[in-house]
Amino acid sequence: MKTSPFRVIFNRPSTAMEKYLLTIILAYIVIVALKNPLFFSLETLFDMLRSGSGVMILAVGVLLVLISGGIDVSFTAIAVVSGYTSVQLMMALGIDNVLFAFMVSIAVGCLLGAVNALLISRFKLPTLIVTLGTASAYHGLMATVLGTKSYPTGAMPQSMVEFGSANLVVINSETGRYGLTVFLPIVIFVLGLTWFILYRTMLGRQIFAVGSNEESASRLGINITRTKLFVYSYSGALSGLMGIIYFSELKYVNPVSLVGSELMIIAAVVIGGAKLTGGEGTILGTILGIVVVQLFQSTLVFLGLGSSWNDLFFGAVLLMSLGVMYYRQRIQDRKSLVFATS
Amino acid sequence: MNLVARIVARDKNLSVLVLMTASTLTVLVALLGGRFLSAGNLQSMSSQVSEFGFLALAMGLAMLTGGIDLSIVSAAVLAGIMGATVMSGQLVPVTESNSNALMLAGILAALVTGMMCGLLNGVLVAKLSIPPILATLGTMILFTGIGMVITDGQSVPISIVSYSALGATTIANIPLIFVLMTVAFLVMGFALSRTRFGRRIYLFGENSVALRFSGVRNERVIILTYVTIGLLVGIAAVIMVSRVNSARVGFGESYLLQAILVVVLAGYNPYGGRGRVISLALGLILLQSLQSAFTILQFNPYVKNLIWGSLLLLVMVVNYYVARWNPLPVSPSLGPKEPGSASGSTGSSVAVTHRPLGKDADPDPRASVEAGGQPG
Repeated sequence: MKTSPFRVIFNRPSTAMEKYLLTIILAYIVIVALKNPLFFSLETLFDMLRSGSGVMILAVGVLLVLISGGIDVSFTAIAVVSGYTSVQLMMALGIDNVLFAFMVSIAVGCLLGAVNALLISRFKLPTLIVTLGTASAYHGLMATVLGTKSYPTGAMPQSMVEFGSANLVVINSETGRYGLTVFLPIVIFVLGLTWFILYRTMLGRQIFAVGSNEESASRLGINITRTKLFVYSYSGALSGLMGIIYFSELKYVNPVSLVGSELMIIAAVVIGGAKLTGGEGTILGTILGIVVVQLFQSTLVFLGLGSSWNDLFFGAVLLMSLGVMYYRQRIQDRKSLVFATS
Repeated sequence: MNLVARIVARDKNLSVLVLMTASTLTVLVALLGGRFLSAGNLQSMSSQVSEFGFLALAMGLAMLTGGIDLSIVSAAVLAGIMGATVMSGQLVPVTESNSNALMLAGILAALVTGMMCGLLNGVLVAKLSIPPILATLGTMILFTGIGMVITDGQSVPISIVSYSALGATTIANIPLIFVLMTVAFLVMGFALSRTRFGRRIYLFGENSVALRFSGVRNERVIILTYVTIGLLVGIAAVIMVSRVNSARVGFGESYLLQAILVVVLAGYNPYGGRGRVISLALGLILLQSLQSAFTILQFNPYVKNLIWGSLLLLVMVVNYYVARWNPLPVSPSLGPKEPGSASGSTGSSVAVTHRPLGKDADPDPRASVEAGGQPG
């Protein structure tokens, strides 16, 4: 067999999970396209890219946290809190500049992520429970201090509205104008940066090492606290970035939205092959996981099913994927007489 | 002093919890006085706590095995929807004569649904080896999805009048559902501390590999545990539905965080093997008192969120320090060791290992767990 294009791009064979997800996605696309040819259009693709961008950025943060052996449920809260804080600051100062919004939002996100990391590594607490607590506390604090006033398109900073509807390419067709969103280069940049950090830096090695075995990592001389500080701050910063993209895309600033979808995103990253026990996970898998979620969320209508079927479909796919993934592991473990406690 | 220190050392978490609950109650009574202690408030507190108590008990059970059950609320909602659908008159029209039978069928439907949900979780965790947090994350989404497809997001009203009376019935001014919860706590407390099944749950949380090699059918223990969780969740659903008189997807979402909060507050170890039902009862009292004080003070939901989140973090930090603190200045090897703790009557007590961080000579949790406390 010739070298697959996959090997050329990623310099590694695809994981079982990636193959499995690709199969699901292709099969699903074929079914939808057969049922409804309208599905096959650039418009659908561009729509999905636009609505999937924010989620993709969040998922990258989640991937990093999962690789480091933790789980973070506070990232949607961080996204909303940092995005909203930055919008409020813009309104108060009268600065209508989207770059300013990004800077403030990313800084706030980074800070909140760092607080998570410090709580987790200082007191050696389970990450899920810490981030459950901080998610609630951050959001509550924001609502108490800044209020929960929402801004419709007319009242929010106009630079954000413009940014949200800006396009790289615009295509005119008989069904109307549609364009390729400017979010795309941001997402590609984030993916590239994360790929570089994970696979081309010492820090990336350390994140994998900490996730695989914290004890060995610390005996190797890796500073656990510092690694975790980076992971959670980076994830927080990405959430901050997403906060602005999210509000720009919706063209509506609502400080109580988004929170509640975090488990869905974690689930998407997990079916992408990231192990909850840490040390495993790929960027391609994450992308595929998000594609699956996005497909179910936006294309069930093409099959004639209402949006109330979303969760059922996704839950079923998630459980099947987890079942396949962990059952294989179990059989392998039993063969080599491994009876791990976790 | 020595006696006090010894009592405190027996269960540091419980002692801290007693102190916290007592001081909170004192402050609340001093601050709110009659409004807090009024018969009406006490009654509404006890019926609110019962709705939630079953969920907390379920979450506690999951945490004893070293797992967590993220699906309890969505399973409860699904069970509630099943029960409500039976009782709504959509399937069988409600008449004078069959209303009692339908009510029974509805309750049964909710309980069975809850148990089926638990069974699914148990099979996923035990037979496929999916980590509980992921398995229940998946089932959480799935149960919500099934509920959405059945109801299309609408609420399912109940057309049996006598059913809503269940939530409001009182026995000597004590809500029936509160009595029900008290019984459940006593039964669970007894089951966990005095039965072989209970001991195996603790042992599984402590060291599942050791339990397996001591000849216990591990997987059956886990499946049974999750089915029990499902039963508790089903009862919670029956209560929830009777109090609101309808069922809807998305109901009670905030209960998940609160259930985790109260279980962690009660000193359950999220890594498994530690936790007592009596502490859970105390934690519930503490949480519910604060909850109703917030209501009296008319805090908005965001302030409540802030307080719950901070409280959860604070409690964990306090627990961290409590675990390191030793009220008895003796060497660990001389620490209190419960007689007979390592010589249980079954072969299942092989692995009496302490966690590495247990430098403080905790008494063996299995031996020190007593029959569940009476809340309130």
